[in-house]
Amino acid sequence: MNEPFGQSVALPPNVRIGPNTLITGDLAFKRFHSRRDTALIVGSNCTMDGVHFAFGEQGSARIGDFCYFTNAVLLCELELRIGNYVVIGWNTTIADSDFHPLAPAERIADAIACSPLGRGRPRPEIPRKPVVIEDDVWVGPNATILKGVHIGSGAWIEPGALVTRDVPPGARVMGNPAQVMGEVE
Amino acid sequence: MNPDRTLPWDWYPGRIPENVSLDETAYVETSFSFHFFRSRLPLGVEIGRGASTYLGTMFDIGPKGRVKLGNFTLVHGARIICDAEVTIGDCALISWNVVLMDTWRLPRAARDRRAELELVPTRRPRLATGDNTLARPIRIERNVWVGFDCCVLPGVTIGEGSVVGARSVVIEDVPPFTVVAGNPACVIRRLDPQTRTHDA
Repeated sequence: MNEPFGQSVALPPNVRIGPNTLITGDLAFKRFHSRRDTALIVGSNCTMDGVHFAFGEQGSARIGDFCYFTNAVLLCELELRIGNYVVIGWNTTIADSDFHPLAPAERIADAIACSPLGRGRPRPEIPRKPVVIEDDVWVGPNATILKGVHIGSGAWIEPGALVTRDVPPGARVMGNPAQVMGEVE
Repeated sequence: MNPDRTLPWDWYPGRIPENVSLDETAYVETSFSFHFFRSRLPLGVEIGRGASTYLGTMFDIGPKGRVKLGNFTLVHGARIICDAEVTIGDCALISWNVVLMDTWRLPRAARDRRAELELVPTRRPRLATGDNTLARPIRIERNVWVGFDCCVLPGVTIGEGSVVGARSVVIEDVPPFTVVAGNPACVIRRLDPQTRTHDA
């Protein structure tokens, strides 16, 4: 049998992980560009396989203890705060920025600035808002969580949900856009 | 497949597990697809004649899980999370980033989930295995087409010839020869089983 989990990948200098936390997957820090002194702090006893920590220069994140993430993409340009016992499922994306401006003319300028020919061109200011996920939240596979969302403790995000607004503690949400369907039983 | 169960074209230095039956005409792009394979059944995965699985397909299969891919079935990068049974019929098409899960792996009640999450770091490999008795088999019948990024949840049967639109979440059974789409997936229209543009 193949051994699914081995050693943690090499960590960038501004990443700190607690005891018994395991981060695996070759792509974990391939897109980690944060220049913060402490860009990412992960607590103890977390298991994170196939997670992409795609952080911009100013991105910083704090993740609690006993979290369990599989194949999630964490896009962080500002701040992610994730509590304890949080589970994030397969192919889920969390982003604290839209990455590009909404206004069409600004977006053209941004596309050029982002292109291989755009070296040094300034990019417009893009709205960013922290994403907060409290303790005991379960996020299903193929879900997407957008900027500024605050998910209350114990909430249950059903598979495939697109979460654009805050989720109250203990709520069960599903759909696109995600709606509250009731409480976790 | 080579006699030592490696694949001649493989980029990954793995092998096809002993309890996987691979028809000699089937194509598995990489043994990496079995990275999370833990089935202890005599036959954990059965891949039929002319079936193929491409990069991104993962057989995330627990000790009592069993998966069957029918003849000419194409799985192009689905994650199959199986603690009981996932059956895919002949000539089915399963697209990119689809998640087929017959199990939730973790309890829904936060207190029970905490207990399980505290056990994960003590396990080798470190996986949530949850309560396998709660797994409910998935059946995808022949000639079904599941679009990109769909989720198929525990206990679902998708009837013969049906189509599931991209990004759908299938939470209940789909009748045969039906198009469903949406989150949750709803019936869009019926298909005529007799209509065909060319014979197979």
